[in-house]
Amino acid sequence: MADRQQPGCLSCGVKGLCGGRGLLTLKDGAWTNNPLAVQVLGICSALAVTNRLESSLVMGAALIFVCVGSNLFVSLLRKRTPHRIRMITEVAIIATFVILFDQFLKAFYWDMSKQLGPYVGLIITNCIIMGRAEAFALQNPPILSIVDGVANGLGYAVALAIIGFFRELLGAGEVLGYAVLGSGWYTPNQLMILAPGAFFVFGVVIAIFNALKGPDT
Amino acid sequence: MKGNLYTLSYAAILGTVCALLLTAASSFTAPYRAANAEAEEILNILTALKVSFQADASPEQLVEIFNTNVRRRSRGGQTLYEYCPPDAEGKTQAAAVRFSGPGLWGPINGFLALEPDMRTIRGVTFYEQEETPGLGGEIASVWFRRQFEGKRIADETGKIGIIIKPGGKASTINEVDAITGATMTCDKVEVILNEVINKIVEERNKDG
Repeated sequence: MADRQQPGCLSCGVKGLCGGRGLLTLKDGAWTNNPLAVQVLGICSALAVTNRLESSLVMGAALIFVCVGSNLFVSLLRKRTPHRIRMITEVAIIATFVILFDQFLKAFYWDMSKQLGPYVGLIITNCIIMGRAEAFALQNPPILSIVDGVANGLGYAVALAIIGFFRELLGAGEVLGYAVLGSGWYTPNQLMILAPGAFFVFGVVIAIFNALKGPDT
Repeated sequence: MKGNLYTLSYAAILGTVCALLLTAASSFTAPYRAANAEAEEILNILTALKVSFQADASPEQLVEIFNTNVRRRSRGGQTLYEYCPPDAEGKTQAAAVRFSGPGLWGPINGFLALEPDMRTIRGVTFYEQEETPGLGGEIASVWFRRQFEGKRIADETGKIGIIIKPGGKASTINEVDAITGATMTCDKVEVILNEVINKIVEERNKDG
């Protein structure tokens, strides 16, 4: 296990890696291995909820919350979890956080809960969360796992916000519900609100992201 | 054996902790969720009855508008929601009934509002449906619901029932256009609506 060679975050004086590793984890999750633009994971929800910026932001927040929470607890329990039932453990933890968020939305943010429909609940099956729990939190100390959760959640949330921004702007001429492109000269392109619009914008986002990031080294 | 016991107790404890957490969260949010559901129902009744209210009205405001304008009356096993605004001197302006039934993927629930003659449709809303988004889900869209307004619940010869007609050929006073690609949903909606319409007519006939 990686953390046997590199003990906890506060005591990693051996190679002086702690600060570096934290930042590296952050950069890796949010940029180098961006879950949406590079790994192309979790795109079902990304395509479904991005017809408005507001719903994209809430979905991003949900993912950050769940990813941080599940990474933290999977990491805390990693040495006690029997290997055979580790995946069901991860799913139980993830599902708990997702349902907590869903209940919160249903109670205090009813309209948004209606708009997002089943997609909040479907975060349970989101590959990003499960992937981070399995690939990162199981092998790393809690604090670093939180960093990884924030990084991946942010990577997803920012990409979602960009897609949502352009879809709402071009599809409805609005940003967060406020009319931006005047009704006089701009005819909203309905296609952007519908599912195909998500594919177009998503494709462009992936292309630009990878052009900026440059080839893998 | 020892390993198995550990695995079992680990799973049991984890399951219990998660369940307790969720139960706590659920009972904490229950009153808020119930209030939201009630406001949603009221919003639908008001929309079907065409009671005017501001689009951004809060749940409390909706309840207040509902209480001043709408009267509940039960009749033959159905609850009638009657719109009698305070300035109408007790005259009923419209009445709505709840309808529900099986859709294609899940239950369809909504309200049907009729004019005081109990023959002309004033409005229809669907407040709960799980039809295919973009196809059957279109029953909740404004264009589909608007079609019902002003339609009659019987044809010229007095035959009871509303018809959802495919192919964009709706022409008579009790026909509306079906949704392309959502035949199953439209058929089911037609059945559900006609069921409630028949009940209304039965009650009307009892009154003579």
